[in-house]
Amino acid sequence: MQTETDGVELVGDQTVENIARAAVFAALTGAMAYVSFQNPVSPAPVTLQVLGVFLAGLYLGPVWGGASMVLYLIAGGVGAPVFAGGGSGLGTFVAPTGGYLLSYPFAAALTGLVAHGTTELADPRDVGVAKLVAAMVAATVVIYAAGTVGFAIVQRPSLAAAFAPSTLVDAFLVAGAAFIPAEAFKIAAAIGITRSDQLNAA
Amino acid sequence: MTLAYRPGGGVLHRLDPRAKLALQAGFAAAAFAHTTILGLAALTPVAVVVPRLAGASVRDVLGEFRAVAPFLLAAPAVAGLTLGEPWFRIAPAARVALASYRVLLVLLVAATYVYSTPVRDSRAAVRWLLPGKLGAATGIGVALVFRFLPVLQGDLTARRDAVNARLGGERSIRERIRLVAVGGLGRALSRADRLAVALRARCFAWNPTSPPLAYARRDWLATAAAAGLAGTVLV
Repeated sequence: MQTETDGVELVGDQTVENIARAAVFAALTGAMAYVSFQNPVSPAPVTLQVLGVFLAGLYLGPVWGGASMVLYLIAGGVGAPVFAGGGSGLGTFVAPTGGYLLSYPFAAALTGLVAHGTTELADPRDVGVAKLVAAMVAATVVIYAAGTVGFAIVQRPSLAAAFAPSTLVDAFLVAGAAFIPAEAFKIAAAIGITRSDQLNAA
Repeated sequence: MTLAYRPGGGVLHRLDPRAKLALQAGFAAAAFAHTTILGLAALTPVAVVVPRLAGASVRDVLGEFRAVAPFLLAAPAVAGLTLGEPWFRIAPAARVALASYRVLLVLLVAATYVYSTPVRDSRAAVRWLLPGKLGAATGIGVALVFRFLPVLQGDLTARRDAVNARLGGERSIRERIRLVAVGGLGRALSRADRLAVALRARCFAWNPTSPPLAYARRDWLATAAAAGLAGTVLV
């Protein structure tokens, strides 16, 4: 690669802040993949990864929230151990749960879009509870739909077989159903987070 | 332990990261296009040898992907189950088992990239792949994710210990998630603000100097092999 020598082009202040936040939220989502709780209603443990997706959408908005999750995927793809169970590498995207991961940028962008609209970012504290719930439920639907389709594609030798209704039902039962109750806890927790007094900077 | 770079001097460590990315993509394309007993049997030796070239063993890689194993094993079992006689059919289960096995082969090859490629090489490859400012921002972002992951993990673990020490374990799960995440998020936001100040103080620019990436003959050979693997899709 050639070295550029014709002067330094500084990055604008607002962009620096957004890049820094996007990178830190991507790392936060990765760190949350390591935090798991015992789920009271299903045997699958609850990891907080998806909470990171919600928070990126709520605190960074549709554009930079989505960008943050793209960074998360690229960093994981080239070897940062940010996926569930300390996984990383491009292979994770074609593993059975790859569909879930690939949906995160869309889910974060959708969360931000429903919560903030296309105008300037509001403080998540001032966004109504109904809007927050709608944003995160929409994101959850996107994540599980993509996860189910991804699982079906990876687990069937041909695309035609993957989209057969019976395959999608199987895929949902194996890879999705057990985790859905946990999302309700995360949505509730995320609303509690935006309303917390401990969080003064936002 | 987690899947991460292992320093070494093997063949794969010396390859250009772009050639290694091409190899992975070619292998995955071939495995997905030829999900037959014959196709996968032909690809298996490659997938078994490649981790050794990066100084790791097949067992190491399988250990890294424990989390995926239940899905790979459950899928054929569920596909074979039927409601009513004969309860379990072999043929669909075998087809899905083949698909699971194909994923396993791809994971072996992909893990090898991670073992043999340091972060700075990956970052340079990202900058080369994506044009202009997009590549520059993505490159720095990826490097920052690597840097901040352990820091934020430490924040969350400390927060969780603090919550547990105050009998947080007896609260509802919603409340526990909230307490841990609020602490983590608060720290993350203040770290992001300090990082932005630090980046500006160091003249964060769109055109810094990247490590040089150069294609040698072995890289062209690897790329040709990748193209060959990808070409089998058309056969």
